[in-house]
Amino acid sequence: MDRSAREALQRGMTGLADGDRSSFDAVFAALWPLLRRFAERALLDPAAGEDAAQSALVDVFSRAAEFDPDRDAVSWALGIAAHECRTVRKKRARRREDLGAAPESSSGSATPEDAVIDADLQAAAASVLGALRPADAETLLVAARGQREKSSLFRKRLERALSRFRKEWRARHGEE
Amino acid sequence: MEKNELYARARRAYELGRAKVASKAVLGAAVLAAAAVALGRSPGQIAVVTVCLVPLAGVLAYRGRAAGRAVLPGLVAGGAAMLLPLGVVAAGDSWLGVDCMRFCLPACVVGGALAGAAIASLAAAEQDGEREFLLAGISLAALAASLGCGLAGSAGLAGMTIGALVAGTPVWLLAHARR
Repeated sequence: MDRSAREALQRGMTGLADGDRSSFDAVFAALWPLLRRFAERALLDPAAGEDAAQSALVDVFSRAAEFDPDRDAVSWALGIAAHECRTVRKKRARRREDLGAAPESSSGSATPEDAVIDADLQAAAASVLGALRPADAETLLVAARGQREKSSLFRKRLERALSRFRKEWRARHGEE
Repeated sequence: MEKNELYARARRAYELGRAKVASKAVLGAAVLAAAAVALGRSPGQIAVVTVCLVPLAGVLAYRGRAAGRAVLPGLVAGGAAMLLPLGVVAAGDSWLGVDCMRFCLPACVVGGALAGAAIASLAAAEQDGEREFLLAGISLAALAASLGCGLAGSAGLAGMTIGALVAGTPVWLLAHARR
């Protein structure tokens, strides 16, 4: 943002703080792209950045009457946006923690060690599945979802896919 | 969210922020009215003034600009002018009659003069909207002061007004001459 735009924003925010509603459009037009760019860069995610910028923008306007004209309007608005981005990051981290804790709570008696072993096995199976031909991997996934067809052709395809899966597993891990 | 929807939400948020400012002014005016009742004024008489004072303070603060800036000085100046006659009564003067005319009425004139001078000097310092500031500030100060001066009847209100005009006008003119 160049100096003249910054000064125009400062004048606009000062006007809004004083109750001058004619400054609203100019302040909105100047702040929205500024806050969106800032939030997208801070969160490294355009969608989350846009959501955070929208919340920050609404917050800026709800507090516009409290704006102190002696403060820099850009820094003040970015401070509100930074707070919003921190809140989004905290929410994200909490969600990740919740997802990480889900297998333990669902198994009831599972210990943290069991959860780690389960996660390792799932990762190993996914890795072996990824090494198979796409058609074999798809057949195994269809069977695992319980959507297997009752034809002899599908049964043979499944047997072949399972055989290749075992072979690949043995090659990687040495045992079934 | 669409940009138009965001614009509408931001606008609503701004107006709600202004309403919060207005609620503080309303609270300030209501506190003055409550103080007048607590100091012995009749609730019925105070209610008549309050129905004008409280909405006026709220509307001016919500609107903002020069009139909004005048709300706090108007309430403070008017509050001080209100407390002078009520203080005289609390000190032992009687509510009505000769004693009140001897002490309450001069207290109203002095309170009005102080409020008028204060509002006039602040209005003269305004960069823009000076008349708006003066009108809003004097209206609020007069209503707030009448919460106390009403006890001296219409003579108290007239004394307060004359005091405000006599003290405020030269202050305003002098401040203009210095510019």
